[in-house]
Amino acid sequence: MSVIEYDVVIIGAGVAGLTAGTILAERGLKIALVTTGEPTACLSTGGIDVCSGRDNPLSAIRELPAQHPYHLVSDPIIKDSLENFLKVMTEMNLPYTGTIEKNRNILSSLGTYKTSCLVPLTMEATPQGTDESIHIITFKGLKDFYPGYIISRRKNTRFSEYDAGVSSTMSIASRFEEKAFFEKFLLWLEKLKFQKDKIAFPAVLGLESATEIVHTVSTLTGKPVFEIPTIPPSMPGRRLFNALKKYFRKKGGEIYWSWPVTGIEKSGRLIEAVATSSLGRPNSINARAFILATGSFVGGGLTATREAVIENIFHLPVHVPGPRETWFDNDYFSLNHGIGKAGIIVDASLRPADSPWKNIFVCGAILANTEILKNGCGHGLALATAHQAAQSCVEYLSHEL
Amino acid sequence: MIKTDVIIIGGGATGCGIARDLALRGIPHCLIEKGDFAAGATGACHGLLHSGGRYAVTDPVAARECYEENLILRSIGEKCVEQTGGLFVRLPGDSKRFREIFLRGCESVGIPAEAISSTKAIDLVPNLNPEIEEAIKVPDCSIDPFRLCMLNIRTSELKGGIIYTRHKVTAIIQSHGRCVGVRATDQSTGEIREIHGNIIVNATGAWAHMIASLAGCEVPMSLVKGALVITNHRLTNMVINRLRHPSDGDIIVPNEAVCLAGTTALAIDDPDNLLTESSEVDTIIGEAGKMIPHFNNTRIIRAFSGVRPLLKSKKADSHEMSRGFQIIDHQNGMYSIAGGKLTTFRLMAEKMVDTIMASFNLKKPCETAQIPLDGQEELSGYPLAKRLTDMKNIVCECELVTRQDVERITRQTGTRKVGDIQHRTRLGMGPCQGGFCTFRALGIMNDMSVISPEQSMEMLRGFLQRRFKGIKPALWGDQLREEQLVEYIYLGILGMEKSP
Repeated sequence: MSVIEYDVVIIGAGVAGLTAGTILAERGLKIALVTTGEPTACLSTGGIDVCSGRDNPLSAIRELPAQHPYHLVSDPIIKDSLENFLKVMTEMNLPYTGTIEKNRNILSSLGTYKTSCLVPLTMEATPQGTDESIHIITFKGLKDFYPGYIISRRKNTRFSEYDAGVSSTMSIASRFEEKAFFEKFLLWLEKLKFQKDKIAFPAVLGLESATEIVHTVSTLTGKPVFEIPTIPPSMPGRRLFNALKKYFRKKGGEIYWSWPVTGIEKSGRLIEAVATSSLGRPNSINARAFILATGSFVGGGLTATREAVIENIFHLPVHVPGPRETWFDNDYFSLNHGIGKAGIIVDASLRPADSPWKNIFVCGAILANTEILKNGCGHGLALATAHQAAQSCVEYLSHEL
Repeated sequence: MIKTDVIIIGGGATGCGIARDLALRGIPHCLIEKGDFAAGATGACHGLLHSGGRYAVTDPVAARECYEENLILRSIGEKCVEQTGGLFVRLPGDSKRFREIFLRGCESVGIPAEAISSTKAIDLVPNLNPEIEEAIKVPDCSIDPFRLCMLNIRTSELKGGIIYTRHKVTAIIQSHGRCVGVRATDQSTGEIREIHGNIIVNATGAWAHMIASLAGCEVPMSLVKGALVITNHRLTNMVINRLRHPSDGDIIVPNEAVCLAGTTALAIDDPDNLLTESSEVDTIIGEAGKMIPHFNNTRIIRAFSGVRPLLKSKKADSHEMSRGFQIIDHQNGMYSIAGGKLTTFRLMAEKMVDTIMASFNLKKPCETAQIPLDGQEELSGYPLAKRLTDMKNIVCECELVTRQDVERITRQTGTRKVGDIQHRTRLGMGPCQGGFCTFRALGIMNDMSVISPEQSMEMLRGFLQRRFKGIKPALWGDQLREEQLVEYIYLGILGMEKSP
């Protein structure tokens, strides 16, 4: 067995894990991030949803129920975490737009408006109401985007179809990274008539160069251009993940990719190491502190059995709203399914409550009582709690005997 | 107004079987079904073509009918029957005496039953509980009920039968005390059709009493709900039954890529409002897990309930109620056919049509037991292999359905319901239960201008709500994880709300 030593080990490569890891690495600590694979961020719209209840997300946060984990993070830290995110994204050439004081809308592939707060620049021109006319450019045979759904909800909406020769979001996005393909596409686009329209694309405009592609198309046509996020695989979600990952590595963080945690080593009230398996041999990754950012059920942090919900890494106690019959409402669309509250209850320092461990800090979607869908608070909560967890972790390490 | 000789109400196995029999005997007919084919008990059962073994002890008449029909269906419908064979397994603690009665029952009915050792049984089905005492091998098979209905209907179509699916019968027209026709409403357009005929056959299963009452008649029935669960893969290649008195959760049937296990038995009043309880799911998994231990940790992708249209009987335990069928002559030109089971649907149809022929004073004998089902040449033996030959433009990754399949079925059937495509292609039947592909299928139907953008949106909403009903009782483990992802996509990424 190989033994590797770090200051802090992060488990989970989503927005929360990568952000916490980056902050700690910036403090000069030696950081490893262990992950089984791509995070749910890759499935997301790429937008940073902070809290959707009100026009001002900070006011919306104040109105959340008392047990919501947002209340464990102070306003200044929430603001800092978002401003810091904007800075990082600019530096990583994936600029975002928006401010913490105001929510904004992005258009979904069904034509609904979805509340977000900070959004990629490629979605900045999204109409905020239903009056403006839009012209959608879609792609022949694209199986995850149907302009008909948008037209069903929105007047003044037309579409044209381009044959990219491929039919999945991912393959069209990679074609947009080819110069010859893009030039040929622009020649076709030039011939269309746009009048007063804004031009909308399903979010397939490149894997890495989306900002430049949107800019080029907008300059050529003289029209505002914006992307509409699609169902997974989502290019804006993937771009977000890639940028955060690169930034973490740039700050000196190390990623153990596809290394599932298979066990823990403990002593007294401390976790000393996580055991992982990779390349056919076991590895023990030692650290002074651990950050748990493995996400909820989809992310793989939690698993439900018929009787209970289990936290998969440290077997921490999981808050569950009731027996299995109460986990889901009969109404699919209620946004009130009890299971949305399942997760880890933490104290003010984001350590797991009712558990002996002094050196575990928890952040992101695995926290209890988040009700992320209902509150529209996915990546925003991940950023805020990651900052808080990192701060608690630094404090703990500075007092550590 | 349409005129025909026989009006059949109900597009389950019985109704479709009657249509085929009438077609082969040259009698003009019209079949009316309020939903799609196999929408009631036919589509909500195990898909088990009984050997008769299950009833050998409790109901020898039904057992003999099952075995004879089993032989017939295997010969006329080889493309919708998979000859899996079946085992009745005896677990530690199960009565040895029952084994003797069972073997004697099979022998007196004529069902080939061979007692085999536990070693031999585990050799046949490696996932069996290693602690079984022994097993009895019988000729059970698995059958695709939806395909069975489609193939029966094919003959009717070829011979000029008129078929209306998605038409709900709202009135039975009477004249001088006789039933002379029906009024049916097209469920998609609201258009009302009037169809006149000399004889009306009520083959509506659990709804038989409701239809009969439109003509002031009665069909005394006990409605008994049975719940079933579907696993995401095939844990056994043979039908597995428990060797004991029929009880809850004692049958597991392999079907295509999945297994079905059930059932339970609960008396109910309303066949249109079926809920499957978590406790029923737990019971089935617990019982199936005793025969195949893997059941306890296999992913359940859906749970659903069907209604057995049993004829009223004084026996309290519905597992013991007669599976026999009955033809009721209401003495006014209407007949109701009720009871019975999927395995004996052809025999039921034969007896019904014999009665109709007698009333018409016609003599042509039944040929449904000799002539193979029409339309089987289009089906491959095992459809998955056929689907694997065309991997382009796949819209349903779980069941490998392509965009071309969706377009073809839409054109062929003229359907505006995504459910019709699901039944005919298996779209949405896999682990995600239509979470991804229904969004796509409705988008394609909108592209084809078959449905309007507004309809596609409304149908997607309706689909998600119906889908959830089937998934909700089975939400834990990987299925819960998948469901959370689908919920995140529709309610999160797509910002879908209850109604606009």
